[in-house]
Amino acid sequence: MRSPQVLIVGAGSTGAATAHDLALRGFRVTVIERGEVASGTTGRNHCLLHSGGRYCVTDHESAIECIDENLILRKIMPDLLELNDGLFVAISESDLAFKERFLEGCATCHIPARDIPVKEVLAMEPFLNPGVLAAIQVPDGVFEPFRFCLAFLATARLHGADVRTYSEVIGFVRSTNCVTGVKVQDRRTGKSETIGADLVVNAAGPWAAEIAAKAGVRIPEVPTAGVMVALDCRLNNMVVNRLNKPSDGDIVVPQRATSVIGTTSWVVENPDLISIPPEHVARMIRQGEQLLPEVRNAPMRAKMAVARPLIARPGEDARQVSRTFECFDHASDGVNGFITIAGGKTTTARAMAERVADIVCKKLDVDTPCTTRELPLASYRLFYQ
Amino acid sequence: MNMLEVPLEIFRYKEGEPPHHDTFTVQVPETAHVIDAIDAVWAMHDRSLVFRRACHHSSCGSCSLRVNGVEMLPCITRVKDVWDGRAPLRLDPLRNFPVVSDLVVDLSSFFQRMSAAEMTITCDAESSLPLSVDDFAVSKIPSRAVELPVNLSRFNRFENCIECAICMSACPTMATDEKFFGPAALAAIFRARQKTDNPADVAHLLSLADGEHGVWRCHSAFECTAACPQAVDPAGKIMALRRELITRRFKKR
Repeated sequence: MRSPQVLIVGAGSTGAATAHDLALRGFRVTVIERGEVASGTTGRNHCLLHSGGRYCVTDHESAIECIDENLILRKIMPDLLELNDGLFVAISESDLAFKERFLEGCATCHIPARDIPVKEVLAMEPFLNPGVLAAIQVPDGVFEPFRFCLAFLATARLHGADVRTYSEVIGFVRSTNCVTGVKVQDRRTGKSETIGADLVVNAAGPWAAEIAAKAGVRIPEVPTAGVMVALDCRLNNMVVNRLNKPSDGDIVVPQRATSVIGTTSWVVENPDLISIPPEHVARMIRQGEQLLPEVRNAPMRAKMAVARPLIARPGEDARQVSRTFECFDHASDGVNGFITIAGGKTTTARAMAERVADIVCKKLDVDTPCTTRELPLASYRLFYQ
Repeated sequence: MNMLEVPLEIFRYKEGEPPHHDTFTVQVPETAHVIDAIDAVWAMHDRSLVFRRACHHSSCGSCSLRVNGVEMLPCITRVKDVWDGRAPLRLDPLRNFPVVSDLVVDLSSFFQRMSAAEMTITCDAESSLPLSVDDFAVSKIPSRAVELPVNLSRFNRFENCIECAICMSACPTMATDEKFFGPAALAAIFRARQKTDNPADVAHLLSLADGEHGVWRCHSAFECTAACPQAVDPAGKIMALRRELITRRFKKR
């Protein structure tokens, strides 16, 4: 018997990690991506490898998932990480009042944390606000989202996956109440074809609702954009976070020769074309300079915005929507053979993929365990060779 | 927000059809980058336009192309810095690679070279604080070096090279020798060489650089160094490899 064919829509971190997981479990996998790998939400990313510190007070589940995945990624993609740790720094009295809860949260979520004397932290990070009141070191890191996805996909290919970029889903093939395939247009040639599938996994991020609509299914997704500002110099060795509850402009992520300040949050209508509000850029600079005062003098290298795929829950504002992911089995909407995975973050993409693949296995009656926790990924460069 | 009305003349190619340029006029904020203008063409005018992009801040290296004939990363190139306000801004794919479609080229030959050069993209034991993107400058500014904390034995960071392939497009030698190892891969060999003292590894790396299509093929045009958006200075690295190869030859005698 041939192994089941699973078609994944989207080659961002979710689609890439899911393709990898399913390919290792022996499925025949096809990935359909309308642009380049990571050309959507994943690509325009802070590049933060979360320690979980950001969530250790407000959301223990997310925090624990982050630190677990952080440690796994260090094993499976060691060459793709800048590992310089991160700081949570208190600038105001209200930040300082948050410190005990933060340390308790780190302990609860088994996140290693070290309270560093102010003098010592200023020696480590000379551009830090000299008025810093407290600093806690956690194992944050930095990854490159594009190569992160390429590495998962290159490994998936070595295990037989077919990854098609510049290919867009233009419709679904359905029998009465079941998705049996997808109509795909190759954007390089304009030619269309139909690809059969035992199951379709919709991992299109903020475009997931648009894809689901083509299959006649509605999902409560709220594309929520964020602005990031990249400086033309690097002001910090380590990731610098504001020691407080999550808020706009609460982080400066260094990478190569830049520092990236992020982020804001607002709901957008069209994730394809986001106009960057100038006041959001100004706010990033204002917030960033509270952490690293030289931000105000630093030339700007780039500014970018992208929509995140958040799932709406009635009565909650954009920042309160869960950062953990949601999986919809559309059998409950009367459409079999079609699931949507939305939400989550790049740091935890592998864990998300593991759970999606478990669901796929259950639906297709396959009993193969996940092996993505241990297997080091192939070189991302193999994706293009 | 002040807006610009920018005409873009974009190279188009679909398999089996003759290549040509299409002109589109888009409205973008005056602070927009060229990638935002390309995005607007795709989102508002022509969904069949094929282009590459991911990070929008020059870390992925995917969006590289030519603006008015010159290799650039559109994600960090502001429209108002390259547009004269009148003539259409001309966008073409990179040179020295086969065109896949529109602005996308086949980079397999580039990544094969980078794999052969064996450069890992993280470099160890370098503090990244100095405000220069030139990795040479890093070691020359000891006053800015920070004391490494006890439990962080070192700071590490990604290499400055983002593998955008701009240097291979800008290189005149590539046009005359398609097997030329190319600026990025030779710079990568130099970086790998810097990271090792193991005689066998050094010999292997230097033999790669010394080959028929290695450093001696370079015409010293320095176009790669001029075009590199990350100040990697590939030409400088090629010259450094030549110096080491020559020095070793003299020592052998």
